[in-house]
Amino acid sequence: MEMVSTVQNTDVKQKDADRALVVAVTTRAVFDAAAGDVYGMGVAFPLLQKVNERLLEKNPAESLLFDVVLIATDSQQQSSRIISSTSHYGLEVGRFCFSSREDLVETLVVNNVQLFLSTDRDEALQVSQKGVLSALLGRQEAPSESLRVMLCGDAIVRPDCDPVPASRGAAQSFSARLGEMRGRFGVSGSPLSIVLVTSSGGSKSCGVALQTLRSRGLSVDEAYCLAGAPRGPILSLLRPHFLLGDGVIDLED
Amino acid sequence: MREEQLRTETEPREELRSNEAERGAYSSAEHHRVTGRRARKVEGGVFFPKPENAVTVAVSSRVLFRTELEQRVFEQKGVEEYLRYQIEHENEPFAPGPAFPFVKALETVNARLRELYPQSEELFDIVLVTYNHAHVGIRLINTINHHNLFIERFCMTGGSSPIGYLKAWQTNLYLSADADKVREALAEGIAAATMFMTEKLTEVSESQLRVAFDGDAVLFSDESERIFKAHGLDKFFQHEQDNEDTLLDHGPLKGFLEALGKLQKKFYAKGQRLDCPIRTYLVTARSAASSGIRALKTLRAWGLEIDEALFLAGAPKGPMLEKIRPHIYFDDQMFHVEGAAEMGTVAAHVPYGVAQKHNQPQKPGARK
Repeated sequence: MEMVSTVQNTDVKQKDADRALVVAVTTRAVFDAAAGDVYGMGVAFPLLQKVNERLLEKNPAESLLFDVVLIATDSQQQSSRIISSTSHYGLEVGRFCFSSREDLVETLVVNNVQLFLSTDRDEALQVSQKGVLSALLGRQEAPSESLRVMLCGDAIVRPDCDPVPASRGAAQSFSARLGEMRGRFGVSGSPLSIVLVTSSGGSKSCGVALQTLRSRGLSVDEAYCLAGAPRGPILSLLRPHFLLGDGVIDLED
Repeated sequence: MREEQLRTETEPREELRSNEAERGAYSSAEHHRVTGRRARKVEGGVFFPKPENAVTVAVSSRVLFRTELEQRVFEQKGVEEYLRYQIEHENEPFAPGPAFPFVKALETVNARLRELYPQSEELFDIVLVTYNHAHVGIRLINTINHHNLFIERFCMTGGSSPIGYLKAWQTNLYLSADADKVREALAEGIAAATMFMTEKLTEVSESQLRVAFDGDAVLFSDESERIFKAHGLDKFFQHEQDNEDTLLDHGPLKGFLEALGKLQKKFYAKGQRLDCPIRTYLVTARSAASSGIRALKTLRAWGLEIDEALFLAGAPKGPMLEKIRPHIYFDDQMFHVEGAAEMGTVAAHVPYGVAQKHNQPQKPGARK
C-alpha cells in the first residue's frame, strides 16, 4: 500500500531531477501552525529563490538549481491547505510529499533529497544517522542579501571523529554540488555565501578544511577559526540560514 | 613549581589531542615547514584561552604582514584578479608587517607566563581579524606557519565589517591599516590604532615587550589638549595647575595599559620584577615639573603603574623613542607618529580627540 503520496506543484516549473540540488523541509519548519504565517525556512525561501533566479539569468538553461520538496508528516494537516498556503506565500516548492513521521527517511531517499532542513535538532540528527545529510535552519531576523550556508569544518578535518559517519558521503557530494553552484557567481554580489567555521583545532586545521573543500570544488567566502572559543557570540553575528556538519550542532550553542 | 609540572602531565589535554589529529592531517610537504613549531605545543600549558580570560589582541592581515603588492593588484585590477593573484602565490609567505615584532613580543611574554603559570588562561591571545576573503586564507595560514607565529584564531569576513567580531572576541586591542575601521572600533569602546608600514625599522628586544603611550588623548582623555588647542600653552599650564588634584578622564588606551599591568603583576608575584618581560612607557609632551604631575597622580589613582614616564616638555619624541625602542608607540597625533617612524619606531595612530581635526595624515593612508 502506498504510504507516501507525492504531488507536483503545478505553479512551479519542474527542475531536472538528476541535476537539481534537492532540498527537503517539513511543513513544521515552514508554517507556524498557530499564527498561520511563515517562519523558519519561510525566511530562507525568498533567498533560495533568488539564487535560482540569478542562476537562470546567467543561463536560462541552467539545470543546477535548488529544488524544494515540502514534506507533511502530520496527518492532521490538510493537503489542500498546505498547497494553498504555499501558493499564497509564493514559495517555490517543486513537490509536496504527504507522508508520516515513520516514513520520513524513506520519503527523503525516494525523492533523492541531498539536504534535509529542520528546526528540530533531534529530527535532523536521526535523519543524518540514516545517511541523509541534514542541516539546522537558522533563526533569521535580520534581512540578508544572500543565502548564507555555514559549514562546520571540524568533521571535514577529522572524518574519523565525525559523529555521523553515515551522512559523510552525502556531505561530500553536497559540498561539491554547492561549490559548483557558488562558482557560477563572482566573488562579490553573490546570492549565495558559504561560511566555514571550525570550532576546535587551530588555524592549521582550518587551513586543512579550506583545502579539502577546495579539492571538492567548494570555495568558501568567509572563514572563522574559533580554536575553542565559545561559538555563541560568533554564530549570532554570522546568522547562517543553513548550518551543516559537526553532528548537527545547536545554533543557540 | 614541581607540583604544577605534575598536574600538567597527568591532566588530559584537549588541545594536545586535537594537535595529534592535526599532525595526522598534514601532508609530508607541509610537515617539514613546521617542525620547529610543533615542539612548543607539546610542552603543556594553555593554548586556547577563553577570550574573557585572555588579553585579546586583534590584528588585520595588512599590519601583521606586508601586502602592498597585493593591495596594488586589488586597486588596479579589482577583487577577482586580486584573489586569483593571492591563490597563485599561496605558497609564498608574506613578509613581516609593522605589527609583526609586537606580535612576536607578545608570544615571548606568553612563553614566560606559561612557564610560571601553566594552567592560567591569562595570556595574550592574538586573533587575525581581516575582511579579506577566505580565498586568501590558505596563504595567510601558510604565512603564519612559515614565520612560526602562534595565531590559532581568526575571522576572515569576506568583506563585511569586522567590528562585531572584535566585540565577540572581547578584544582588548585592535590594530589595523584602515583608519575608518579603527575609528569604528574606538566608537565601540575598543582600544584601537592605525598602523603604517615604515621602511626604516630599528631593532627591538626579543626578550622584553615594550609598549609606549602618549598621554593626552591616548591614556587620558583629550580634555587638556582641547584647552591647549583653543587657548594656547599658558592657559594649558594654568589649567593643569588649577586642576592638579582632579583626575584626568580616561582615554581609549587606558584599558590596554591596565591589561598589561595585570600581566606584569603576575611576574612580580613570582619575584620577577627586575626580569619582567613587559615594560611600559609614558612619552608625553607634558613637563615633569608642572603639567606632568596631574598625569602621574591620575595614573596612581587608577592603580596603574607605568615603568618609565618621560616628560619631554614639548621636545620631539623621535629621539627618545629611538632610545627606548618600543615594539609599538601609541599617539593621537600623526605628526608624532610620522616623526617616530622617521626614526625607525613603529608608531600607531589613535584617531581620537580634538587633534583629529587639526592633523591629517601626510602620507596616503590606510585602508583595509
